[in-house]
Amino acid sequence: MPNQNGRVFGLTFLCPILDDETLQISHDLQIRDYLATLPTDERSPFALAPGTHVARLVVMDDVIYVGMPAHEEHLASKYLVFETNTDADLPGYLRTLFDAIPQHIDAVWSHCTGYPGTADFDKLLAYMKACQIPTTFFFAAVNDKSVTETLLALQTQRAVAEFITTHQGMAPAQLQREFLEFYQALQSLPCPAAGGKLPRRVIKTGGHNE
Amino acid sequence: MSNINGKLYAMNAITPMKPWKTWILRVIFFLLWHIKSKQQDLINLSFIQFARWVIIPRNRFPSLSSGQKQETLTYDYLLFFSNFNGTWNQYIDAFSAVLSTGLNLIWRWSEKFPGSVPVTGFKEYIARIQFDTDYYYTAYPEATANDTKAAHIVQGALTTLATQAAAQTPEQFQAAYLQFLLAVQTHLGDTGDAPAVF
Repeated sequence: MPNQNGRVFGLTFLCPILDDETLQISHDLQIRDYLATLPTDERSPFALAPGTHVARLVVMDDVIYVGMPAHEEHLASKYLVFETNTDADLPGYLRTLFDAIPQHIDAVWSHCTGYPGTADFDKLLAYMKACQIPTTFFFAAVNDKSVTETLLALQTQRAVAEFITTHQGMAPAQLQREFLEFYQALQSLPCPAAGGKLPRRVIKTGGHNE
Repeated sequence: MSNINGKLYAMNAITPMKPWKTWILRVIFFLLWHIKSKQQDLINLSFIQFARWVIIPRNRFPSLSSGQKQETLTYDYLLFFSNFNGTWNQYIDAFSAVLSTGLNLIWRWSEKFPGSVPVTGFKEYIARIQFDTDYYYTAYPEATANDTKAAHIVQGALTTLATQAAAQTPEQFQAAYLQFLLAVQTHLGDTGDAPAVF
């Protein structure tokens, strides 16, 4: 299943962009203009809709001519490329986008040919299926963890480093007690926001090797 | 428009292929997918979070309405999308140095591919076939592929330690804690802002 590697899905879409020569600003430029205004941090639409590890949107103007003796050719349409690495397959993933960010889907895809809007999920799903290109080969460095699991693991890593630093040379009974308290507190922390920055760790220097 | 978000770089590339060569490449990808040992160099490089190759046959570009102009292409196309850590130059240099055999196997079917060694011609080819990203999002912009792998190792070791801790004597816990430290000590690197890229 090339669209899936372990628990991660690699979905690829090519959506033909409307071509209207009567417009002052073409549809592809309107897409680019809108994408330029979107935040890429924890306020990103993809952060608001859970389950996206990494995603990109690209306006593909044309294919590329690599020079003689290759044949020069051009696309009849421009395409919006949507490449995303997610925790769910197409129906499940699209449902999260549909529920969380319909206004952004409309703002981008309303410039695409045949886009049915977000009034009817089944129509939207049929449209995205028509635009989907099967991924031929998909590689994921970590393929068995969800976005939430990774964000929590990064939070844990930072907390553990801090705990180890501040508990060196402690008596076993106290260490055990404080470790159990630490673990319980860690379990109750909320998951960090996707797309955002993590709190900075204070790195103390001046150890024996410096 | 930016190809960079935090510590991640988005590369898009497209190359034309004669349709009969597409089938050879499909067989190669099929073997690469099923013989996991052949992916080991890609895994060991450890700075690629996600990557994919997508073959689009010349007559399979999506056609969504009768009003859309039909494509009249003679080539099939190979799309490559990569999400990697580090700079463009570091990436291409490492690809050329470590994965040259694999890269040649994949791209030799594309028109005018010069080979991945020497790297100068390879870089010129990549620069020609690359196109830029308009919007790029990552859920963990401050973490590299190695950071995420390390974090999951720490998470697993911590869970194991914690499930035993309450039932242990202090001395048993101390011994287990020391084993835990040995297991995680090389996986505690700090994440943070991406270095400035020039």
